[in-house]
Amino acid sequence: MSEHNNEKLDVKEDEIHLLLDHSYDGIQELNHPLPSWWNATFYICCAFALGYFVYYQFMNGPSLNDEFKKDYKVVLAAKEEFRKANSVFNQEFYDKTVSKDGVNNGKVVYEINCMPCHMEGGRGDVGPNLTDNYWLLAKGTPPTIHKVVFGGSEENGMPAWGEILKPEEIYQVISYVMTFKNTFVVGGKEPQGEKVDE
Amino acid sequence: MSSQVESPPVGKRESFSYDDNIVKLFVIATLIWGVVALLLGVTIAFQLADWRVNLGLPWTTFGRLRPLHTNAAIFAFCGNAIFAGIYYSHQRLLKARLFNDVLSQIHFWGWQLIIVSAAITLPFGITTGKEYAELEWPIDIAITLIWVVFAVNFFGTIVRRRERHIYVAIWFYIATIITVAVLHIVNSLEIPVSFLKSYSLYAGVQDALVQWWYGHNAVAFFLTTPFLGLMYYFIPKAVNRPVYSYRLSIIHFWSLVFIYIWAGPHHLLYSTLPEWAQTLGMVFSVMLWMPSWGGMINGLMTLRGVWDKVRTEPSVRFMATALTFYGMATFEGPLLSIKSVNAIAHFTDWIPGHVHAGTIGWNYMLISGVLFYLVPKLWNSELYSKKLAHTQFWFATIGLILYIVSMWVAGITQSLMWSAMDDAGNLIYPNFIETVIKIVPMYWVRAIGGTFVLISFVIMIINLYKTAKAGKKTAEKIYEANALDDSSIEHNASAHRKLEGWPMIFAVLSLIAILVGSGIEIIPSLVADKYILKIEAIKPYTSLELYGRDVYIKEGCYLCHSQTVRPMSHEVVRYGKPSNAAEFVYDHPFQWGSKRTGPDLARVGGKYPNMWHYRHFLDPRQVTQGSIMPRYTWLFENKIDYSDLSKKLQVMKQLGVPYSDEEILNAVENAKGQAQGIADELVENGKVPEKIVQMDVVALIAYIQRLGVDYSAVEEEESDEAASVK
Ligand code: HEC
Ligand code: HEC
Repeated sequence: MSEHNNEKLDVKEDEIHLLLDHSYDGIQELNHPLPSWWNATFYICCAFALGYFVYYQFMNGPSLNDEFKKDYKVVLAAKEEFRKANSVFNQEFYDKTVSKDGVNNGKVVYEINCMPCHMEGGRGDVGPNLTDNYWLLAKGTPPTIHKVVFGGSEENGMPAWGEILKPEEIYQVISYVMTFKNTFVVGGKEPQGEKVDE
Repeated sequence: MSSQVESPPVGKRESFSYDDNIVKLFVIATLIWGVVALLLGVTIAFQLADWRVNLGLPWTTFGRLRPLHTNAAIFAFCGNAIFAGIYYSHQRLLKARLFNDVLSQIHFWGWQLIIVSAAITLPFGITTGKEYAELEWPIDIAITLIWVVFAVNFFGTIVRRRERHIYVAIWFYIATIITVAVLHIVNSLEIPVSFLKSYSLYAGVQDALVQWWYGHNAVAFFLTTPFLGLMYYFIPKAVNRPVYSYRLSIIHFWSLVFIYIWAGPHHLLYSTLPEWAQTLGMVFSVMLWMPSWGGMINGLMTLRGVWDKVRTEPSVRFMATALTFYGMATFEGPLLSIKSVNAIAHFTDWIPGHVHAGTIGWNYMLISGVLFYLVPKLWNSELYSKKLAHTQFWFATIGLILYIVSMWVAGITQSLMWSAMDDAGNLIYPNFIETVIKIVPMYWVRAIGGTFVLISFVIMIINLYKTAKAGKKTAEKIYEANALDDSSIEHNASAHRKLEGWPMIFAVLSLIAILVGSGIEIIPSLVADKYILKIEAIKPYTSLELYGRDVYIKEGCYLCHSQTVRPMSHEVVRYGKPSNAAEFVYDHPFQWGSKRTGPDLARVGGKYPNMWHYRHFLDPRQVTQGSIMPRYTWLFENKIDYSDLSKKLQVMKQLGVPYSDEEILNAVENAKGQAQGIADELVENGKVPEKIVQMDVVALIAYIQRLGVDYSAVEEEESDEAASVK
């Protein structure tokens, strides 16, 4: 006996012949055939699954690693070309950049990318003090700074910016860093490296 | 033979009653935990929009609250709702009172106790570090015991049934109970270090596979099959219509149960899982589409001719909407499993969007529909207000749509930014933070959407409370039915119909159905030690790094950071060499993560100086403007707890990590030495206080600085060789 059944089960005329005599707590079931689109889609999915698996697992379809290697080779070649073209300091480009408001643009680049380590005004913290006349890697000139900034010193925590910043941004930030030179900011990090006299 | 509602007066007449009090208790628990789960969800959503919402306290940071949110939503909210719905319908479908009232009570109170212990341990950072299975080993054992109680109660009721055949709802319940038990036990195998700390039995690739076999099927067998069962009972009851197609029920039940279990590896596409397993995960997900839709079709077509009830009856409206979102989510799922789509969507916010289409759209909506049906019946009352129910509906729907759409936009935007490269092979957005700042507005939209859903839930609580309060007490109803006897056996029935009369055999067959896929995928990986070519250069963590790794797990860093580099050019340019299975062989548990709210950390060791990390953990915005990573100030005040360190190494050794006896014996001494080295450098470079040597942060830095270091030193050819072993 069930508690509902004050209302008669709502069965439509056109489906009454599909009604099964199952009944569970008043719930009955029709037996419509499987929708044909449902069936077809299910078969298609299964066929796709089988084909895909067989192709990639048994018929030497390219593995993810193969595909990656192919793609990466192209990227590496492009990178190599870029490096060749940009890793050497270009005095002419530098002068042009400086003349086009390079220092102010460089300040923006510096604040976003360099400040976390070299701090405001280049006084140094995680990275060395850029306001004194002691240098670890560079020699206080644009070409030597370019070399450090472009290639970095990654084992010591100075990232390589060559592929992160745009070429002109690198020249801009160098021109900005040059303004720190020999400002000897008070409270800066103690000198590191060798003294460079000019 | 006919089994009309009133069976013909053959066998013995028996009278019985239903235990509806236990259903009431589960209903109340559902409402309480539902609001808790949603409140937590809204909180962590705002934390991603504005880091200050982390409140600066350890137990309120994102990494600790996120597991609490997911556990509360799945196991507390949905769990209690499932038990309420199952206990109500199971008794009626079988014309039998629940097997044992005491077991029912133990089930209820035991489950609530488990939830409370989760709510206490997770904020303290007591976690196994495996998503959706974070609870530590004593709670895992409690879950197992209570689940057994549930199973005994459930199958006991079947044994005492007065209805020969079991209805499709019960098929789904059976599959749920059996599969969840298998999943939970296999995934939770771990070796305790202390009362509240353990290490997973599995490492690296194996752990990842077992975990996502579990994780995916928790969705399948905790959030899908039981809910389909409820749908099969409550929709026909609510609209008083026959179910559309019995044949479809059979086909979609078995195909769903059989296929679902294989799909787990779609969480690990492009990882170092052997590719054949990845491909299986993908193709089975594609095949899963129609079986999932079978349930939706059967539910929606049952509404044929009574669609007006979707407008007028809250319970029907919610259930029909639930089925619609179920259909959407189960289309999106297979789509996301296709490798090339997954390459875009994985690790992005698209995935939380997808998950919530399921949990809010399907689970919450269906639960609402069930509750609007149940509460008036249980408390013998009329629904307090249809208008409130409709208001609730719109709040929930609009909130959910805001959620889903904002996460689509965020996910796709971020993914495109991650992968954008120029002709020179350089990333267009090399600073990860740019890709974060871009999507923060979407985090706000999501948080607001979530708030709408929370409001909708509160509206429901008010509505149902008023409904229950107006109820009139009645005596327990007594029902009558014939005892089960041979007269109900259908001799000429089809094979499946016969099977429906043999529930225990049915249960065994469901078990076999799920064991096939599980076995084929998992067993090879458990013996995979042979396949993973060890690389000599990859060494176990030092004792301090191991301790730091536990800090990483405790703080839930894995919920924002991945540790696995996929073989894709943009990813390799951004992070470094693609990951290799051999890198993870000592990782109990694995920490690949599933979401990149922050950048991948697999190659972060040595990327920055120690001082950078020191500043970053103290205040991420000091080094990265606009960061949304929380501050971890307490790591600078909590002292390293050396007491269990030797034991930890010992357990690791038991698990196969090659620590020497000497390393175990000197674990503390070695750790202190390494900490001193890091501290000295910090003190020298950053003028930090000397006492830092004793603090957790030093261990965390040690761990972070180790990540990827061993493998980066390995020559190309050797890593190639290891990678090519399938
Ligand atoms: C993650 C921290 C970090 C960031 C960010 C950083 N640097 Fe550095 N930088 C360092 C460290 C550490 C060194 C010292 C490297 C060494 O000792 O080999 C250094 C060295 C340098 C030097 C050479 C100093 C010397 O004494 O020779 C220059 C110039 C420099 N950085 C410029 C920059 C510029 C320009 C930027 C931004 C585009 C930048 N750095 C960003 C950490 C950083
Ligand atoms: C709410 C998400 C979130 C959590 C939780 C989180 N992080 Fe982050 N993390 C970020 C984001 C976003 C960034 C990128 C911005 C930045 O540098 O702060 C980041 C950056 C980092 C970086 C720098 C990576 C790089 O290559 O520049 C490290 C290291 C890091 N997190 C470690 C951790 C650790 C360890 C924990 C746990 C104690 C943690 N994070 C928890 C979001 C998070």
